[in-house]
Amino acid sequence: MSFIEPVTLDNSSGYNLEAIEKEINENTNILTCDLSDVKEYDSYLILFLDSLKELSKQKGIALNIIGVSPRMAKFIELFSRKESDIETNKAHPGFWETYFSHIGQLTIVGLQDMKLFIEFLGDIIAKFLALFIHPGKMRWKDFPFHLTKSGVNAVPIVTLIVFLIGMISGYQGAMQLRQVGADIYIADLIGLSITRELAPLMTAILIAGRSGSAFAAELGTMKVSDEIDALNSMGFDHIQFLVLPRIIAVMFAMPFLVLLANFAGIFGGLIAALSTLEITMTGYLNEMQKALSYGDIFSGLIKSVVFGFLVSAIGCFRGLQVRGGAESVGKYTTAAVVTGVLTIIIADAVFTFIFQALGI
Amino acid sequence: MQPIIEVKDVGVVYGDNTILEKITFDVYPGEILVIVGGSGSGKSVLLRQITGLEKPTTGTVIVQGQDLTSANNDEKRKIQKKFGILFQSSGLFASMTIAENISLLLESFTDLSEDEISDIIDIKLRAVGLDGFRNYLPSEISGGMKKRAALARALALDPDILFFDEPSSGLDPVTAASLDNLIKSLNESLGATMVVVSHDLASIGNIAHRVILLDKETKGIIAQGNAIEMKNNIENEKVYKFFNRIAY
Repeated sequence: MSFIEPVTLDNSSGYNLEAIEKEINENTNILTCDLSDVKEYDSYLILFLDSLKELSKQKGIALNIIGVSPRMAKFIELFSRKESDIETNKAHPGFWETYFSHIGQLTIVGLQDMKLFIEFLGDIIAKFLALFIHPGKMRWKDFPFHLTKSGVNAVPIVTLIVFLIGMISGYQGAMQLRQVGADIYIADLIGLSITRELAPLMTAILIAGRSGSAFAAELGTMKVSDEIDALNSMGFDHIQFLVLPRIIAVMFAMPFLVLLANFAGIFGGLIAALSTLEITMTGYLNEMQKALSYGDIFSGLIKSVVFGFLVSAIGCFRGLQVRGGAESVGKYTTAAVVTGVLTIIIADAVFTFIFQALGI
Repeated sequence: MQPIIEVKDVGVVYGDNTILEKITFDVYPGEILVIVGGSGSGKSVLLRQITGLEKPTTGTVIVQGQDLTSANNDEKRKIQKKFGILFQSSGLFASMTIAENISLLLESFTDLSEDEISDIIDIKLRAVGLDGFRNYLPSEISGGMKKRAALARALALDPDILFFDEPSSGLDPVTAASLDNLIKSLNESLGATMVVVSHDLASIGNIAHRVILLDKETKGIIAQGNAIEMKNNIENEKVYKFFNRIAY
């Protein structure tokens, strides 16, 4: 076969591989392709020659390419697929194979992540306990800064959100309680749900979004810019220097945030109760006092310390997992929030089970 | 002469990917050894093994007679205090001023008073030509100045060994050459041993006492000697082509 000029992508419709295939019969031993008249060509020439190579391979006949100018030979050599590429391209896994291998890979990554996180937790706990013997090993200088950033600065958003949650719960509860004339029990409903569940849970979720993500982004950026390597190479321990001040600050701040959130939630419920039910503020507060025990409040506070530990540890862990550049920082910051929230909810379920078993 | 660093049969494998195999060489006190190689040949990976930032898959790294690879964390940190490292992207703490970056080490590892620390910061900054920049944040100075500031921090505790990871990367040729001169003059004045990872041929010719060349294919050292010997090594095609900027 010979070629029609030009052999370019614009003129690709002029070439029909099926027509060439039809011309090949049982007696064809060799397919000769004469390129001597081709003066104008682009990457379509490569594409077409590759198709011819494939066709000759399928038909079991030889392909003889002649009339290649030195310039064209260089062009073909530069752009042609290498045999190794062809081998790689051959293996296209099917849909199900891809689907299950993807699930498998995700499972492996998840398990590896879990293993690494457990190792990280072990490291943190060991170094935290070591602080009781050598308190100077941690960088206490950073503690007030992180306490302000993660605790004090979170007060407005935490109290506002829990106040609104209290109010919404109050309105929803009031509608039901009014039907059975149990108006006063709105105080029991709000008091128990806010102190035992909603305040610690919502505070932890907000801290996961604020501080967990901030920790991941801060440590991730430090990782990318060699700051953590620099720290380690100078003989500092990045866990004691960077991670522990953040975790301890959040653990310390959490119970105070939850206490404030308790007040805000109960106040939100009070507003809902006063505006929809026929009860007085004194009645609401007296009933609240009767309904709540110290156990209810302390169970929320204990949970909050554990939630704070988990959220901040996950944020730091994700930050330290960052590799490469800015994209990785974004990826692990998102992962810090998602894993943080998921872990808090799992931990809350575990707490509920334990407290129920202990009768708290 | 007794080597200050002995690298013996070091191999590094990441997952299924072998990066380095059986790397063996010594570094002698007071010399500037430059580790060179093409992109992906494992130069920076090797530096991480020598400085103890990573533990090699196989082999040992001995620094002043102490095995860094089998040392526990506390022992490793003691050895690392003898090092000063200049990272590729400087590694300055972004939230601290230049002076705070330097004083961090002095406050943590010495009993010097605040005034003494302040004086030492001035001395180090003067040595790298950054007089008057002590209160600047890393984000407020240029790339070349960041490298100088990071070098001042690396010099804070007067280390026995200085490591440089691609010191001239991201710098224009004039700034890179002035950093090379600074490295050379520090080596001559302090007598510190220096291990430099680089693929900047101009810089290698300027500072290296000895060069080792890593090869991506063999994952090992394919030549060592001084820069001129390497450039004229016509017996080994890869070495000749690398040092004469010929593609292969």
